[in-house]
Amino acid sequence: MMTVIAYGTIALLLAVTALAAHRRADIRHADVATDAWIQLQPLLLRLPPALLAGVFLAALVPEQQVVAILGEASGLRGILLATLIGGLLPGGPMIAFPLGLALLEAGMGVPQMVTLITAWSVLAVHRLLVFEAPMMGWRFTGLRLLASAPLAPAAGCLTLAIEALAR
Amino acid sequence: MAMPDHGSNPVPPWRRLDGTTIFFTVLALGAGGTTWWLQGGEAFTQTLGRAAGLLVWITPVLLGALLVGAYVQRLIPRATMEHWLGGRSGLRGLVVATAAGAITPGGPFAAFPLVVALYRAGASVPVCVAYITAWSVLGLNRALVWELPFLGPDFVLLRLLVSLPLPFLAGYLAVLVTRWLRP
Repeated sequence: MMTVIAYGTIALLLAVTALAAHRRADIRHADVATDAWIQLQPLLLRLPPALLAGVFLAALVPEQQVVAILGEASGLRGILLATLIGGLLPGGPMIAFPLGLALLEAGMGVPQMVTLITAWSVLAVHRLLVFEAPMMGWRFTGLRLLASAPLAPAAGCLTLAIEALAR
Repeated sequence: MAMPDHGSNPVPPWRRLDGTTIFFTVLALGAGGTTWWLQGGEAFTQTLGRAAGLLVWITPVLLGALLVGAYVQRLIPRATMEHWLGGRSGLRGLVVATAAGAITPGGPFAAFPLVVALYRAGASVPVCVAYITAWSVLGLNRALVWELPFLGPDFVLLRLLVSLPLPFLAGYLAVLVTRWLRP
């Protein structure tokens, strides 16, 4: 089921975008394929070790401790802790998602994981230092951080609410 | 000795071994070795099999997502995006910024130059904040390439659903913070 949804979504998006591009005279499919190939190249070497690291870490993470502090039952306390972990987590998606897989497999709750991914996405310490502050200035960066601080807990609480409704 | 012909791609494969790749290789070897040492060869082989299965599952999704990203980038060039967003504000500005952020493909090196251009062109701070937030929490490209393979479609759909209001929330909070800083 999971596979069908994932593959179906991608196939549908690909069909829609390819068709839209086909109707435009200035877009050549070969150029698009070249763009995609350029993006793929760095992943060819990075993804397999990232995946292996994620899966092996998942086998090693002490499940009982993860469940105790970040499991479904950890509630709001777990959400606040996940905000902290996500906000301080350095690096790009190659680090965050394998770690996410490891923690989720070890029994981390879904609302807590939504919080962690959201906090990592909006606070992103290393993206902030490398791109945002130099390009947008510290005033804008600080203002955006203030406005973004409540977002991750909000997403976590919303997930909690949806789970409570679904039950 | 004649240099080997690399064709149109002059970068030899070992030059692609950057810090991130080395970090993960070392981490994978360390974690794999520890798994073998603590849990035995059978657990090691099983985990290795799981990783291989995941890789096989991911590959078609990844290829498809990269193609979708490349098509979107050609279909909606940066100039069009700037035109949509330039000088907008209010709820309509936030809606457009959220939609634009969600479909902007690529990493920070693609998104931030756009924000800088918008900011200089007179887009309001809340609109810029909403755009960055939408690009970070709703970014479809990253969700498809990274999140879907690792965390699965159920999780991705749920997370995108609860993230829909976040760019608006951030935009309105930015309005409040701006007022508070400059009374």
